Amino acid sequence: MPTPRLDRRRFLVGSTALAITARPRGIFAQARRGEIIAGLSERMLTLDPANHYSISSTSVLRHVYDPLLDVTNDDRFVPALAESWRAINNTTWRFTLRKGVRFHDGTPFNAESVVFTLKRVRDNTKLIKSFVYQDIDDVRKEDDSTVTVTTKRPFGSLPAHLTMLGMLPPSAVGNEDAFFAKPVGTGPFRFAGWTHGDHIDLTAHAQYWKPGVPKVDKLTFRFIPELSTRAAALRAGEIHVIDRVWPDMVQTLKGTPGIKVLDTPAIEAQRWHFQLGRETWKDPRVRKAVSLAIDRNTIIKDLLLGYARPVICPVPPGLLGHANFGTKPYDPEKARQLLKQSGHQNLALDFVLMKDLYPKQLEIAQAVAAMLGEVGIKVNIRNLEIATAREQRTAGNYDLFFSGWAQMPHDPDWYFGQWFTKAGAEKLTRFADPRVEALIAEGRVPDAKVRQQKYEELEKILWDDEPEIWPYYTVAIYAISDRLRGFEARRDYYVLLHEAGIA
Amino acid sequence: MRGYILRRCWHSAVTLAGVSILVFVILRVVPGDPAKMLLPEGAPQSAVDELNRHLGLTEPLWIQYGLFLGSVARGDFGQSFQYRAPALRVVVERVPATVQLTLAAMVLTVLAGASLGVLAAVRQGTGYDYAGTVLAVLGQSLPNFWLGIMLILLFGVTLRWLPTSGFQSWRHLILPAVTLAAFPTALVARLTRSSLLEILGQDYIRTGRAKGLGEPRVVLRHAMKNALLPLLTVVGLQIGTLLGGAVITESIFAWPGMGKLVVDAIFFRDFPVVQTVLILSATIFVAINLVVDLLYTVVDPRIRYE
Amino acid sequence: MSRLVRHPMILVGGTLLLAVVVASVCAPLLAPADPIKPAFGQRLAPPRGLGGGAAHPLGTDNLGRDILARLLYGGRFSLTLAGCALLLGAGGGVVVGLAAGVFGGRLDDVVMRLADVQLAFPVIMLAIAIMAVVGTSPTAIVSVLALSGWVLYARTVRASVLAIREADYVEAARVLGASQARVVLRHISPNTLAPILVLASSQFATMVLLESGLSFLGLGIQPPQPSWGAMLAEGRDYLSNAWWLATVPGIAISLVVLGANLLGDGLRDLLDPRL
Repeated sequence: MPTPRLDRRRFLVGSTALAITARPRGIFAQARRGEIIAGLSERMLTLDPANHYSISSTSVLRHVYDPLLDVTNDDRFVPALAESWRAINNTTWRFTLRKGVRFHDGTPFNAESVVFTLKRVRDNTKLIKSFVYQDIDDVRKEDDSTVTVTTKRPFGSLPAHLTMLGMLPPSAVGNEDAFFAKPVGTGPFRFAGWTHGDHIDLTAHAQYWKPGVPKVDKLTFRFIPELSTRAAALRAGEIHVIDRVWPDMVQTLKGTPGIKVLDTPAIEAQRWHFQLGRETWKDPRVRKAVSLAIDRNTIIKDLLLGYARPVICPVPPGLLGHANFGTKPYDPEKARQLLKQSGHQNLALDFVLMKDLYPKQLEIAQAVAAMLGEVGIKVNIRNLEIATAREQRTAGNYDLFFSGWAQMPHDPDWYFGQWFTKAGAEKLTRFADPRVEALIAEGRVPDAKVRQQKYEELEKILWDDEPEIWPYYTVAIYAISDRLRGFEARRDYYVLLHEAGIA
Repeated sequence: MRGYILRRCWHSAVTLAGVSILVFVILRVVPGDPAKMLLPEGAPQSAVDELNRHLGLTEPLWIQYGLFLGSVARGDFGQSFQYRAPALRVVVERVPATVQLTLAAMVLTVLAGASLGVLAAVRQGTGYDYAGTVLAVLGQSLPNFWLGIMLILLFGVTLRWLPTSGFQSWRHLILPAVTLAAFPTALVARLTRSSLLEILGQDYIRTGRAKGLGEPRVVLRHAMKNALLPLLTVVGLQIGTLLGGAVITESIFAWPGMGKLVVDAIFFRDFPVVQTVLILSATIFVAINLVVDLLYTVVDPRIRYE
Repeated sequence: MSRLVRHPMILVGGTLLLAVVVASVCAPLLAPADPIKPAFGQRLAPPRGLGGGAAHPLGTDNLGRDILARLLYGGRFSLTLAGCALLLGAGGGVVVGLAAGVFGGRLDDVVMRLADVQLAFPVIMLAIAIMAVVGTSPTAIVSVLALSGWVLYARTVRASVLAIREADYVEAARVLGASQARVVLRHISPNTLAPILVLASSQFATMVLLESGLSFLGLGIQPPQPSWGAMLAEGRDYLSNAWWLATVPGIAISLVVLGANLLGDGLRDLLDPRL
């Protein structure tokens, strides 16, 4: 038998055949390289997308799991695992799923996964997100790529909520502990390891359904709650991106070569709410007086160094329900008059803060105390531990409470439903207004136009009534190494690195 | 002697029981609702109540304590409210980082503190002594975080000699250990100095000197042995400080130790983790002090027959 | 008096402390501006000599308030708090220690176990727990500080009492018919004074440091009341761009600690019969 020889002809034929039959992806996919290390301000507590409500954790888990839909930085809802969705009627949503997607372990993604994920979060009331999905009546698989969700009452914000819920494989049924020790999703990165309280490691998932994603081999999220340390790590070149930068740190960062600072108005409004259970604050004149006595522009310009925006509506720009009601005036003279009229010339006000929650809150509170002092209101600042502060709020033991609301998930229904219905606000601000309550209920339908109209109506009432003070919209500040490419400063404080590359 | 040991052990046991009850009660009496802390600010009260029920917090206090003791006996310290993982595992995961930092700081403390103290005592009244006093004061009064952040800025950002934070290699250990050791070093230095001075003034030392023994021999062999006693006490006490009080250092350096774990857990009202850490650290503290006490009887024969 | 001269440390330490105390007491006279009212236009001005003007010799803080003024008024607050806590802690500790040493038995056991339990608890936890219930009023802070310190006094006194109880002259007094308590109060108390004084002087520094630690964790006095601890905590976020906010109160605390330490060492040198 003649010995086979790799002569030239054979070689050419062989390699051409190889080239033709090789998967096109091998040739056209862009090379993935490098590692990105991000420094986050908040540590991760769980790998279960249904068991937390942290913006930071949602952002990290988004790399491992895909939700049914995503939201862009300009507040549009775009397909992720669901190619399309629509409301069949006021209480029914239908989702058409993307085909050909697989989980990291190879099992196919289909309607079973959606049914399992949704039913699980509704039924297991120990999960943190469970209360959001209690309105779901049934989740039905029509076929492998179609799911119908029926709800007990109109649930127009369901798609928005679903942007924060990663889809789980049905293999997680029955052995959740084992599953979440090494979780598997459909996302652009695979879970590689988690050192509690320190960092989480992810590696690229080569067969992600979106081409060209991810652009790096490895992704590490480090948890560095202390801002000076986080900034120091970035300045020393140890990490490539940090979130939650405070205005005062911007100068130092800008002054470091190789660092860029990015900022964008966030979808978060700071809100200081009155305790409406107390007689004093039931009088709209007194609330208005407090509002008039606060110089919001000074706070924005001098304390937040311009990293904040004046409020023109309880709902920030870009979101459903936003409208322009103009800015609130600063008029201490009028404030004094109103206080005189209502017989409260020597008012004492307990201003409760939740310790270390919002940037510069203590400074701002002191500034407000000085401003209110000018019109005869004596402010008593109480900077309490978060847990204690919230107990005090439930007990109604405050006059003004320093809080905020990041409009997650890009939909105001939750905000209104929780804070401006009688049932929701009962153990909080004690707000109750039947007109507002009716409008909130009417705004729950899926029709976006109807919702916009209802929300504008109810916002007008709130704007005039001022049960809360909205002093400013916050600005999200990030800092990145100039080696980082393709990073978008997001308005919802997410740090998303799917499309990011490293030079 | 045996009676003394048994008595000390009994004391330790009572102390531990006291600590466990105190921790348990304080956590549940202090205002703050764990379910509220886990759920977002905008969660309805019904969700809060439901979660509290799941966490077993709606039972009467004594039932909760009974259940707790029972499960501790089986080695189960409950599930962390925050992490939804066994509290014991969450705590034990932090042990390596904590032990490394504590040991490093202690080694620094003993070496640097004792050396400075000896130097100051032996050169009493000279420039060395005053310099030592100033250093000791700085070590005691400089805020932990100030030192830590300054070290990071200098060695991490400007010079780039050392990493700024994290728990990865021995190089990451240097700055946090130095920061944590500053305060105890100062204390140990002062104590060593005063203790050594006291001893150096005593008769048997003068005898040694009169006999013609060289100064270093006098100091090292005869004086130090007796100066060791109070040193041991201080080191024993400092371990408690280092373990629980390293919070600030751990926060600054993003060091995943038990100090930060427990303070975060307290602010979060994560009862199982707080209980586990406090009981474990109290056990270690009590054990170490028991050992120190027993060592005393070895080192100082006068105490043996109390 | 001549003995004092032989111990310069007491003089130096005492003078230093006195200077700080007097400066704080004279705060209204020495402060160049209002320590509480914000002045947004002049935030984070550096101290004189580092770029700042003469109006604010130590610079201004994050709300534009004069740091020297805040230092002086803050000193008033911190030193008063530390002093009260010291008296309360020392007084309580001494009484408890005396009782435990003199009466012994059950009382002694209970007290010592309580002390052990408390020592096994990091002070910070106790502070957080107490203040979550009681609030952050000055009274609460003083109580927490005193609580953290009593054990050392109690143990020191008890040790002294135990040591002296066996001494001959006490035996003699007892044999002659004096009651237990009487013997203690007349013969024992004066001899325990020395270590207590030394302890107290170093504990003063500890109280000041603890107060600043509590403020650092947000458990100290509420703003806008200045205290050295609060100033440290506020300055923490500005270490990279306005380092004087935290450094100035840090130096003040160091001076107090230095003074207290020198005083303590000097007192010990003075009062120790063997040296």
